[in-house]
This record gives sequence, structure tokens and C-alpha cells, in this order.
Amino acid sequence: MGMHIVKRENLPLWQKVCLYVGAVAAALLLGAVLLLAIGVDPIAYYNRMFTLGTVGNPIAYKVYANYLADLVPLVLTSLALSLAFKMKFWNIGGEGQFIMGALATAVVAIKLGGVLPTAVVLILMCLAAMVAAGIYGLIVAALKVKFGTNETLLTLMLNYVALYLLTYLMETKVPWNFLLDPTAVRPVPQSFDKMVKFPSIPLVGKFSLNVCVIFVVLIGLLIHVYLRRTKQGYEISVVGDSAGTARYAGMKVGPIVLRTVFLSACLIGLAAAFKVGSTGILSTTITEDVGWTGIIVAWLAQLNTWAIFLVSALVCVLHYGSTVAAATFAQVDSSFANMLQGVILFLVLAADFFTRFRVVMVKKGGSDHGNG
Amino acid sequence: MKKILALVMAMVLVLGLVACGETGAAGSNEEGLSAQTLKVGAIYINSKNDTAGYTFAHHSGITAAMKELGMDTEKQLFIVDEVPEKKDDVLAAVDTLVGNGVNIIFGISFGYIDAMEEAAAEYPNVIFSHGTGYKSNETNFNNYFGRAYQARYLAGIAAGLKSLELGNNNVGYVAAHTTDYAETASGINGFALGVQAANPNAKIYVKNLNNWADEVNEKAYAEELINSYNCGVISQHCDSAQPQIAAQTAGVFGCGYNSDMTPDAPKAHLTAAIWNWNVYYRTAMEAAIKAGTADKFVATMGTSAYYGGLKEGFVDVSPLSENCAENTDKAIKAVKELIISGEWDVFTGVKLEIAADGTVTQKDAALESNGFQHKDGDFKVPMENVEVVAAGGASVEDGVITGTMNYLVAGVEEV
Amino acid sequence: MTEEYAIQLSGITKAFGSVVANKNIDLNVRQGEILALLGENGSGKTTLMNMLSGIYQPDSGTIRVNGKEVSIHSPEDAKRLGIGMVHQHFKLVDVFSAADNVWMGREKAGFRLKRNRYAEMEAIAKKFGFDIDPRKKVCNMAVSEKQTLEIIKVLSYGAKIIILDEPTAVLTVQEIQKLFTVLRKMKDEGHSIIIITHKLGEVMEISDRVAILRKGEYITTVNTAETDEQALTEWMVGRKVDLNIDRPAMEKTKPLLELRDVCIRSDEGTTAIDGVSFYIRGGEILGVAGIAGCGQKELCEAIAGLRPIEKGQMIHKGDNIVGLPPRVILEKGISMSFIPEDRLGMGLAPSLSITDNMLLKNYADAKGPFVDRKQGRADAQQVIRELEVVTPSTETPVRRLSGGNVQKVLLGREIKAGPNVLVTAYPVRGLDIHSSYAIYDILNRQKKDGVGILFVGEDLDVMMALCDKILVLCHGKVMGVVHAHKTTKEELGLMMTGSLDLTNKYEDKPAGIAKDSLFGDGQQKVEG
Repeated sequence: MGMHIVKRENLPLWQKVCLYVGAVAAALLLGAVLLLAIGVDPIAYYNRMFTLGTVGNPIAYKVYANYLADLVPLVLTSLALSLAFKMKFWNIGGEGQFIMGALATAVVAIKLGGVLPTAVVLILMCLAAMVAAGIYGLIVAALKVKFGTNETLLTLMLNYVALYLLTYLMETKVPWNFLLDPTAVRPVPQSFDKMVKFPSIPLVGKFSLNVCVIFVVLIGLLIHVYLRRTKQGYEISVVGDSAGTARYAGMKVGPIVLRTVFLSACLIGLAAAFKVGSTGILSTTITEDVGWTGIIVAWLAQLNTWAIFLVSALVCVLHYGSTVAAATFAQVDSSFANMLQGVILFLVLAADFFTRFRVVMVKKGGSDHGNG
Repeated sequence: MKKILALVMAMVLVLGLVACGETGAAGSNEEGLSAQTLKVGAIYINSKNDTAGYTFAHHSGITAAMKELGMDTEKQLFIVDEVPEKKDDVLAAVDTLVGNGVNIIFGISFGYIDAMEEAAAEYPNVIFSHGTGYKSNETNFNNYFGRAYQARYLAGIAAGLKSLELGNNNVGYVAAHTTDYAETASGINGFALGVQAANPNAKIYVKNLNNWADEVNEKAYAEELINSYNCGVISQHCDSAQPQIAAQTAGVFGCGYNSDMTPDAPKAHLTAAIWNWNVYYRTAMEAAIKAGTADKFVATMGTSAYYGGLKEGFVDVSPLSENCAENTDKAIKAVKELIISGEWDVFTGVKLEIAADGTVTQKDAALESNGFQHKDGDFKVPMENVEVVAAGGASVEDGVITGTMNYLVAGVEEV
Repeated sequence: MTEEYAIQLSGITKAFGSVVANKNIDLNVRQGEILALLGENGSGKTTLMNMLSGIYQPDSGTIRVNGKEVSIHSPEDAKRLGIGMVHQHFKLVDVFSAADNVWMGREKAGFRLKRNRYAEMEAIAKKFGFDIDPRKKVCNMAVSEKQTLEIIKVLSYGAKIIILDEPTAVLTVQEIQKLFTVLRKMKDEGHSIIIITHKLGEVMEISDRVAILRKGEYITTVNTAETDEQALTEWMVGRKVDLNIDRPAMEKTKPLLELRDVCIRSDEGTTAIDGVSFYIRGGEILGVAGIAGCGQKELCEAIAGLRPIEKGQMIHKGDNIVGLPPRVILEKGISMSFIPEDRLGMGLAPSLSITDNMLLKNYADAKGPFVDRKQGRADAQQVIRELEVVTPSTETPVRRLSGGNVQKVLLGREIKAGPNVLVTAYPVRGLDIHSSYAIYDILNRQKKDGVGILFVGEDLDVMMALCDKILVLCHGKVMGVVHAHKTTKEELGLMMTGSLDLTNKYEDKPAGIAKDSLFGDGQQKVEG
């Protein structure tokens, strides 16, 4: 018997769903074995994980708020990445762009918070973040358009430039560094949530909805329309599919690439503004890896706008739920929770592979002369 | 796809409603807490399954204290670990713990400070206790730390006597940080003063790791202190036993930190400044039970800033090893008594003189810095007044030791 | 009995996903014969041969070599069994010399380069009558030389069974003759040769027997001497086919598009088109013949405005169009449908639907920020109806369509734009006979409507039947423009290799410049 891999054409939707569900089930089963091995009841653990620990929780409303706070930057970043990916521009620089956006947000908030009306400051924070992140992405796009450089490498490297800049600013206690709290002896980031913060709307009971959630849903809607209906969205599809064809159709491919990457990076900046503007403080781990996770989400969602919402929601359940569940079980630390998350994502990605390809077993008849 | 999404959203909201309706007051504290009903929450910087280091020390302290009180660490302890020093992450961890109905939350890392303060205001029915910090309120929020400088002073005596015996006045110190943190500065100073009490001619060389845990450099820096600065005794303020192991390899001696490091370097280790975290955790848990409600916690503790030392047994030195110089035992015992009785403390205008036979005498002498202080990101800003405490003067304030000590005492050199 | 056969395939089946490429195929190859494997594109010829050479494994069925049943898992296995294949796309290392390429692939090459490798290779070349320099680097070789090298490679590994996949596609008429001489010599040495092709003339000329595949199924094997082209076609296509291509006579208009002394650079910066002049009138089809890669691609791109013109003039209806952006050139009515090797690289966006592809050139005309998909859908429906495109719906991605339907969609869109000049490159590449004829019909209809057509083609037989005039390129230079009905394949072949230059055939009129040129007007306009 031998096997080889064959590309699949269109798999029916129900089969795809079955594959994904099967992958998650397999991962959970594997996780259950591991949990049993360390003496934890898997059913109780999963119960806690998938309910996000809300059952019997006196402050469940906080859980939803925290969950949504995790979700907002991830959805927006994934949406933004999908724009660039649709054009086959492999923007791996979500982290770097997010950091640049976060820095710009903090600068505006600290310098203008309390000086100008809150609404104005919030808008300026968003704009500053979008411009900062947008330009950071634009650098790579410009180099690609002008010199044909590889965007994957450059965006990846710029991630680290941004990260070390942020780390430097967060750890260097000097008089000019207004990003740190001047009253603290140690390098502590300056908190500005008292001065300016995205408001929450009281909804049901004690649950209040951060306005950013509403913005993200609206942005999702706009992106959907932008990609599906507008001329610019059409241009993105054509350039992504075949740059030669786009050029032939009279599209200015260079400017389209610049425009789309700028937009993509801008939205990542906006995600950073939402994040920083909601927590009211900067830190070296502000991105929470959304730049990386966003790539997985966009890929799993096959760049479909609404699927991105769904996949992000599930990834966040996984992420948040495993932290919550780990708190209740002494044997489970967050490393284990992370590992379980990894197993689930890995198997789902494997399922994703099997929706695109399939393995064929080959029967070999007769005697073997060549031994290949 | 839209429908699925709408469904998910709707489900989330409905769940939210149900959960919100279930119970009224958040984190409600029933009257009459007991060791059997107290629920403890903890937020750790590293994994709760660590087997060494900072988080391990606290986790051991909390579980030891709970066992002393007859509590069940599986059912009554809730932990969110690997929480970075990031406000929203800490707040989310607090939410998770409060959601589990805990009565008291210990946050062990300094960077949790603002989040702990905010959470204390948000959840007045839960006690917040923050390790190494300096913020607090009048009701349900305190901070705790220990007079590690006292233990280091004792270790310094062992090192000073050893240096006399060796006839080598150079003592090394591998430091996580130096003057940028009062905690590290006071540790270095306490140790240096202890060394000088035994050997007034000693010189203390400090190397700054700029990192709380960095095993590779902990070893390398110790080696450098031994090889380039000819140090005969190596002390440390860092997590691993690497400096002690380096000392043993080079045939010199050392004082460890956090735990008794004699097993790690039996031929080099003298004694270590150690923490008994369970002392505080037990005190805090007992206070929480006694207070009944969270708002009375600070009053029950008597202070919003717990600062235990040798007296409480919160800090100490590990049993002296055979490597110690003669009469070390006697000298340390005498000084310990002076400190526990409250007759004398380290950062005062009175210096101790320890004779070779281990007898201790007191002498008025000014406490002087080495002439520099840490200010505005610059490590070496000249100090206008080198004299910190005049001869015969009282000890510096606790607030200085925990918050603003940004200088090293005379005889210490940062290299 | 079985000893008579070099190869026996029985019951071979191979599927890719849901597509069955080979279904229960039986095929025998005798010792020392040339067997032509005939079939249309997509009939499964290459797949079948790839199983012999170890690239694929059959899903079921048996392979016998010299009577012994074998299974071939890899090209190395095939090599050991004495089977060698010369692929359409050569597998050579460009920076190595000919001899090094041969040496490199050897079973036991050893660690050290042997000095005698040049002599060894020369010996093989001499034996079979190849003309090749063992020291020449592959990157400096012409296509025919590379092919020769591939054959030598296979022979030097001791292959007794040699498979050639469409070997004549890249060769000129003269080179084909040379190749055939070599093949006959190899046959005389006792080699068995399988030659994959879909050109009937060559089949008749070179093969001893012909095996025919159709849509993945084995049809029959016949002795070449006992059959004719018509019969082979019917087996290949499955029904009677009229092999004649129409060439309607039209009233020609004044020149629509004129090029004068045009120079164009390739991507690498070398001169791809060197001082080319020609013109196209309305109502005529001008063929462009030449060996692959002699400047056709660059010429097409330059006309469409996608590639800068270094030197020279390009006049459309008297207006200079050099340096205009692609969109403006489109608006002037010059349409291009260029199908490169991968068929979908230019002119179509393969993952997008037919509707979206219809919109490609006019999406920007819609008012407001939105794309007018209604119009696109209507256009798609019209093209599907009029050109009989086989597709599940207008929303099917173009890459799911078969080759012929892709071509129809592409041409349909170009024609819908109502062009006056239509540039089309390799429009029937990879198509079956029926689809090819459908494309010829479409082009002829355009011609009747007065459109000037530039037809860049490969098959000289087709070009001689379809085109009015044929322009021959060799290394970016025009070798002359000939009347299609007056020329011969041999003449074209000589021109393609540069051995015959007819540019100055008529002393009164240099080739490529129209008597009634509008060039003068254009020049004044440019200068004014």
C-alpha cells in the first residue's frame, strides 16, 4: 500500500462542517485523555471551559465583557488581514502594525486626554492609530511595488522593530518618556483610563456593551460590502487572482496594492486603538498575539467576512475558556490550557487541509522489482 | 453564515441574562467566615506548577498556610497563573476569581498594583492583598512585603567574617536590579552594612543583571566578579543558585537567596536570606476569617501595609553551613536578638561592630551613601548630602526602604 | 509470445479526484518500433506515459516490461527498467554544460567529475547522428538543442524504451525532419519509441503503428500504413469531422494598426522585438509565426500598452498610440486576448466568476463606487448563449471551465467590447478539435465584420488555412510577410530559423509597410 495526496474540488458544505466538527471532537478527546492522566475530570473541565465559567457565576456579565474585549481586536485584525490576503499580499506584520497603532493611541490619549473633549480625543486616537499603523504597512507595500521586495519577510521583520521600540519605551524611565507614569519610581506605564476611554452602554442587568463591539460589527458590514460590491473591492479580487490580468484590464496595480495594504494596516491600527482605548494603558504584551492569531483566523475563515466573526468568536471561547477553567483545577496551569488550545487549532487546520486535499491509498499489484 | 452568527450572538446574550439574573450581589460575603468556607484566590506571574523561583515560593507559602489552617487546597484555592503585568489581563484574572466566589485575592507581582487598586474599588466585598506593592485603602486592600534587608544583614555578617578569615576584602553581589528598585537597593545596602560590621575594610562589588531571572548571566556575572574583581564571597539577589554553583566551582564562598542553597553548593554556601511567605499568608487568612466582611480586613490587620521581618519570622537566614567562619553563629544570634527586641535596626545612625570572637558592640556613626543616586533614568547622579542618617539618628522610614531608597551605601561599588 | 513486446499495459486506471484520466487501458509496444500515441488534449496520453516513467502510480492494472510484471514507483525505478521519458518541459540545469547535465543524472555518478565525460557524450552523439557540443552550457542552447540533450541523457542511461512527449511542438519543420532521422536510427538500434502527439501529419510520417486514446479510454491500435488522417481523426474525435478551415475573402479596408521600426525589450532587458514593421487592415487575419519565445509575447503586450516601446511608432487609424496607458488603448478598440502557457495568466481572473470576468474591462464605467454586476451577468449570459459556453452558471469560477470554454469566455468578452483590432495569441492552445474549430469560426465572423485580427499561432497548417497573410518572426526580427495561400510549410520553417529572409523580396515595397499607409498623417499629428 502506498499513499499520495490529491487536490479536492468542491467539497459539499455539510462534509466540510463534519470534518471541522470531527477535528474539534478529536482534539477534545485527546485533551480528555491528557486531563485524565493528570487526574482532572474532563467533562467538568470542558463544561467550565465552554461556558466560560458563567454557570453559577455571580459576575457573569463581567465574563461577557472580558470575552468581548478579547474578541474585538481579534476580529478587526483578522478582517484587516483578510483584505490584504485577498490580494495575495501576505501581511504577516499585524503585530508590528498593531503596536504602532497602540503607541499612537497612547500618545494622543496621554497628551490630549483631559485637554480636549473626550469624544474628540477618542476620534483623534483612532485616527492617529490608523495613520501610524497604515504608514507602517505602507512602507512594505511601497518597497514591494517599487523594488519587488518580499512582503512576507519585511512585514515579519518590522514586527520585531516595533516590538523592541515598544519594549524600549515601556522600560526606559527617563524624563522625556511621557508614556511612563511620572509618579512611579519604577517604569510603570502611564494609565489614562480616568481621562479618556471608550464608553460602554448599559444593556441588560449589569452588562454594558463596549461601543467598540458595535463599531466592529459595522466595520464588518462595510468590509463585506466593500469587497463584494465596490469597484475597489473588485480590483482587489482581480489583482489577487492575477496581477497580469489586472494590469491588462487597465488597473493601476501599484496604487491598488498601496491603497489596500494601507487600508489593511489602518484597520489593524484601529483594532489597537479600540484595545488601548478600552484598557486605558499600554504594555509590552498589548497585542496579545492578535497579529498572529488573526492570520490563522483569516485562513480558517477562508477570508469570508462573516466566517471571520464566527471563527474569531470560537477561538476566543477557546482562549478565554481555557484560562477560566484552569483557575478551578489545581493540576491544570495555563501551559496546559495553551497546549490544549494548540492541539485543537492544529487539528482544525489539519481538517482544513483535508477539505482541500485528500489522501488516496494505492493498491499495488504483483511483484516488486523496483523498490521505490 | 449570517444566521449562524446571529444565533451565536443571541445565545451569548441570553446566557448573559440568565447568569446575571441568577445571583444578586457580586462576591457576597456571608457573615461568619471560617477556615472551612474561606475561598482563596491568587494571581501568579509564572506557572503554578513551577518547581523553583518566585511563583513557586509564593505558591508554597499559600498552600502551607492553608494546610496549617486545615483548609482544602483543591476546593478552596483558585489560581489564575501566567498573568503578565498588564492591567486588563490582571483585571480579567480578578473577574475570573471573583466569579468563583473567592473572599481574598493575593496578587504576587509588583506590576499588578494599579489593577489591584482598581479591582479593590470595584469589588468592595472581596479582599485584595498585593505583594511587594505600596498601594492600599482603609478597608479591603492592603499590601505586604518583608524586611529582607534584616535577613541580608545577617547573611552579610557571615560573609564579612568569612572575608576576614580569607583575608580577602572583596565581596561580590549579583543583583537583579540595583538603584532602580528600592527593594534591590535596600537588599544590597543591608547586606553591605552586615559585611562592614564584621569587616570594616570590605568592599562590595555589585553587578546588575537588569532582569529578575536570567540563569545564564547569573552564572556569568558571578564568574566575572570572582575572576575580574577577585571576590572571595558572592552574594546574590536573583532566582537561581547559579552564583553559588559558580562560587563552588571557583573555590570561593557565597550567600544564597530565597531558599537554603547549601544542597546546591555544599562546599561554598554559607547561609541564605530566606522568606517564609506562609507567615504572612497565614496571618492574612486568619485576619480575613476574623474580620468576617471584607471592609474590616485592614482594620483587623491593624495596618494597610504589612511589613514583617525577623520578629514575625517572615524573613530569616537558613541554617549556617560548615563553611562559615568561626563565631558566625554567635554573632548572628546576638544581632538577631537586637533586631527582634526592637533595640536596633539596620538603617540607623548606630553601627554594630562585630569582633572576631563574635561579640557585638554598638557605636554611633552616620549612615552614608556612596555619593550617587538614581534619578530620572540616570544611575549616577551625585547626591548633595551623602549623609543619609546622622550619627545616633533613628532609622529611615519604612516608606524609604520600600519605595524611595535609590542609593547604595558607602563601600558599595556598581561594576 | 510476450517476449515480442517491450511494454504491455493492461487494465490501467488512474483517477485524479473525481476525474478519471485513464480508464482500463490496454497498450502494447513492440520491440524496435515507433508507436505514435495519438489523442486530443485531455485524452490521457501524458498521464499514461507518466505512469510508465514512475511519476504517477496507477490506481489499478498491471505493467509488464519485456514480459515481466513490474511496479514503477519512481523515475529511478523506470530508469533501472530501461524506460526514459523526454518531457515537454525540459528538466535541465541551465548553468551546467551539456555533458555535466548528462553526468549529473546518472545512477552511479560518483563523487568526482570525470574528465572523459565529454568524450563519452560525443560518442553517443556520433552513434545516433546528433549534432551537439558537449561543452556548451544549457542556458546558451536553442530549444532544439535542449531537446537533443534530453534525448542523449535518456540514451546514455541505457534506456531501451524512450517516450517523447510532444517533441515537435517546439521545433521548426527542418528540425522536425532532423529529429525524425535520429528516431529512425534509434529504432534501427533496437530501441522502442513512443511518441506522444496530436499532429496527424507527423503520425503518418514517422510511426509504425498508432495507438489512439479518447477521453481517457483506449480506442484502438492500427498499423500506420493501413490508415489515413481522416480515419485517425474520427477515432480521435469520435465522429466525422470536417478538417477544412474557411478563409472568407473580404473587402479590405485601409490599415487599422501600423507598426514601424518598433523595438521592445524583454523582462530581462534584452531586445525582444527588433525594428519590426507591419500593418493590419480591417477584414483580414494576419498570422504571426515563429519559434516559441521569439518575441510574440512582448509584441502583444506592447500593442496592448502593457510594455513600453523603446523605439519606433505605432499608429492606430492614423493616431500615434505609443506610450498610452492600457485603458486608453482599450478604449480605442484594440482588444487583446493573450493566452500564455498556463492559459489563465493574462486576460482572465481564474478564481472569479464568468460575470466578474466580463466586467474586467468596463467595471470602471459604472456610476458611483459600486460594480454593476447586473450588466456583467447580462453580458455573461449573452456570451454563454452566443458562443455556446458550457458552464453550470454565470457565477462559476472560470478556472472550473474546460479549456475551450475558457477561450470562448475570453474571446466573447473581447468581441463584446466591439473592437476594431483583435490581438489573439494561441487561442486554440490545448483545445480539442471541435473547440478549435469553434474558435476559428468566431475569428472568421469577426473578420467578416471588418475587424483586423492579429493571430499569433503555433500550428503552421492551421495558420496557412486560416490567415490571409503570415508574418514570420525570428529572434525578434521580421523575416518577411507572405500570403498564406502562396507559401509552403518548408518556406515558413526556413524563415522561422532565419535561413530565409524575404523582407526585400519585392524591391518596390519593403515588407511590412502599406502602400496606402496612414503613417504620414500620424507623424504630423505626433509632431504637431
